[in-house]
Amino acid sequence: MNIEIEDLAKEFGTTRALHPVSLFIPSGALVALLGPSGSGKTTLLRVLGGLEFPTSGRVLFGGQDATDLSVQERRAGFVFQSYALFKHMTVFENIAYGLRARPRKERPTEVEIGRRVDRLLDLIQLPDIGPRYPNQLSGGQRQRVALARALAIEPRMLLLDEPFGALDAKVRKELRQGLREIHDRTGLTTVFVTHDQEEAMELADLVVVMSMGRIEQVGKPADIRAKPASDFVREFTAA
Amino acid sequence: MRAGILRSPSPLPGFGLSFGIMVTVLSIVVLLPIGALLGRGLMIGPGDVWDMVNSRRIWSALTLSFRAALIASLFNLVFGLLLAWVLVRYRFWGRRLVDAAVDLPFALPTAVAGIALSALYAPNGVFGQALAPLGITVAYTELGIWVALVFIGFPFVVRTVQPVIEELEPDLEEVSATLGARRMYTLRRVILPTLTPALLTGFALALARSVGEYGSVIFIAGNIPNLTEIAPLLIVIRLEEYNYDAAAAIGIAMLVISFAMLLVINIIQTWSRRRIGLV
Amino acid sequence: MSDNTLSRPVPVTTEPPVARAALIGLAILFVALFLFAPLVTVFAEALAEGWRGVRAALSLPDARAAIGMTLTIAAIAVPLNAVFGIAAAWAIAKFDFTGKAFLITLIDLPFSVSPVVAGLMLVLLFGANSTLGGWFIANDMPIVFAYPGILLATLFVTFPFVARELIPVMIEQGPAEEEAALTLGASGWRTFFTVTLPNIRWALLYGVLLCNARAMGEFGAVAVVSGKIRGETATMPTMVEMFYNEYLSVAAFSLAAVLAMLALLTLLLKSLLEWRHADLLAATRRH
Repeated sequence: MNIEIEDLAKEFGTTRALHPVSLFIPSGALVALLGPSGSGKTTLLRVLGGLEFPTSGRVLFGGQDATDLSVQERRAGFVFQSYALFKHMTVFENIAYGLRARPRKERPTEVEIGRRVDRLLDLIQLPDIGPRYPNQLSGGQRQRVALARALAIEPRMLLLDEPFGALDAKVRKELRQGLREIHDRTGLTTVFVTHDQEEAMELADLVVVMSMGRIEQVGKPADIRAKPASDFVREFTAA
Repeated sequence: MRAGILRSPSPLPGFGLSFGIMVTVLSIVVLLPIGALLGRGLMIGPGDVWDMVNSRRIWSALTLSFRAALIASLFNLVFGLLLAWVLVRYRFWGRRLVDAAVDLPFALPTAVAGIALSALYAPNGVFGQALAPLGITVAYTELGIWVALVFIGFPFVVRTVQPVIEELEPDLEEVSATLGARRMYTLRRVILPTLTPALLTGFALALARSVGEYGSVIFIAGNIPNLTEIAPLLIVIRLEEYNYDAAAAIGIAMLVISFAMLLVINIIQTWSRRRIGLV
Repeated sequence: MSDNTLSRPVPVTTEPPVARAALIGLAILFVALFLFAPLVTVFAEALAEGWRGVRAALSLPDARAAIGMTLTIAAIAVPLNAVFGIAAAWAIAKFDFTGKAFLITLIDLPFSVSPVVAGLMLVLLFGANSTLGGWFIANDMPIVFAYPGILLATLFVTFPFVARELIPVMIEQGPAEEEAALTLGASGWRTFFTVTLPNIRWALLYGVLLCNARAMGEFGAVAVVSGKIRGETATMPTMVEMFYNEYLSVAAFSLAAVLAMLALLTLLLKSLLEWRHADLLAATRRH
């Protein structure tokens, strides 16, 4: 599903987190929102996910206006930097959460829920951790469980906020590959936020460089390296 | 003096002095009196203690104290959660005043609360008159005891749950919403379980306080034997009759109830720390 | 849908405005009915016969004596508890020793004991027909129905207040600053007064405040131990009871109003401390 962002602006009181920005994300792309802290990248992601509502402008999912769609109706799989796993639930219950939260008419049967959770645990290559609690998992495992939980609701897109931010360098590399594989398998339009230019360049099909609430440049990693649109982009993507 | 105390070495001075003061004061003020009560029980003999407690009037008093405390604490559990939530999550005019007022029962002497509640709910009091047409009599009935215990136990749940709500990560609620959960579902399945250990602790504290409460209750209760006579009052009555053995027997029964509840509080805290990592 | 601003979804981490208003209303109603109403009643009943009634009540010799008694008891009990609290917190927070958890449980114990039972314990320990009590009486130092008994009862019920406020704060601060002071050549006492005490002063004040409120207001334990002898061992709360039982309503509520004013002062100071120095107080509190 493609995503269109039209003249989107967001103000918190008197501060402008996003100047009007426009962006087109093609269906099935893996996109990085790259920028330093305070560049507006997380705000943009949260607006897409329905966690913030824009001051002006529109968001369209597959050509349909989604600006005023509530977060529940958006079906955007959102992975938080902290993973936000429910500590009082097992991994299985965490992943099943979105399915069980549905109104009774749309809720799958217990058997079906079990089947789907097992399939997702296979997808993240942790088939045996269903009965465990989040406290008993490593950082990398938690991140993958958060990803599986977001995928369980059959999202229309995948939104990830600094998905590798809380991990050490070695695990980071492994999980980058993991995200790439899951993206390719599911074909979901995927947007992730990062401040790490190497991560963005290595993983994304399309990189959106942001600064001070504005989009500085949109392009393929190679093009941004070769032809930076501004001094900011050149400096930020150097090395 | 440090023999028998396995202490890791530390460069700081004053362990002997501070430990000595602590143990001395603890012994004189707390342990010796408790020992006196338990010792009295042993002198009377457990069988005789049981016989003395095992009368209709005392059982009525003990069950009344416990039942009223349980009902009042359940009430406080609900309203304590409500207050804590409203105080942390919402901004409204007078919030700080309400926040400060929550501690009023801690600061106001129980006897003062007792006579105030009694005056308020007496048949000619403001609330008493308002409730009379509805056929509700609060003063001199068990209902009056509930009201007094609600007053006394109210701050416990609020003050135990409030810091936990303050530290809830917004991520948890947001992620629940992105997974399609309605607000009520999030409150029920995510927020409430996270608050449960703190709620239970606050509940247990309120319960422990209410079971032994005396000052705020006796003025409004009417103190009719077998009906509205609480256990602590019965101790006072026995003491005024110089029947120390009977008073000690009731005291031991109450102490056992208190210790049992203290044990439960500790078990809850250990359990919640292991399970969720916060209290 | 997008053209209708009223249909804009509410932020996800709060309840709909209607629910919010209802919950706030319910909370304020509860506080007004259950907490404010009794407080207002105290002052209203005290002023039933105007200021003159209050003044007359407070100049009764029994009332005067009770006020003096309560102030004296608090003036002795609170500093004693502060010293105990500091000593306990120092030993528990700065050192590791076996049995620490058990000691903390013991310090908390008085919270779980009914005040009346506390009074009963002291009567059994020091009463006329106990060995210890007999000895004290023989030596002309009666404890029960006398001054020392009231003091002990007050110490018992206020026992944990200062210690349990200081222990978490001192644990959080750790021994590093004191160790640094020692390496710089400061003596133990100097370290305590120049490093430790400034670090814990707000928490100490907070604990003392709560301790004082309870010391002045304690009823059950003191009622049992004091014998409520007018002009001799009656404290303010027990005098309130006696006036009330004699249908001296204005006198009872006037004395109660003085206690209520003290409670309000306590709450005010406590709130100020919480707003100004929240970071230096213990994070979670149980009373």
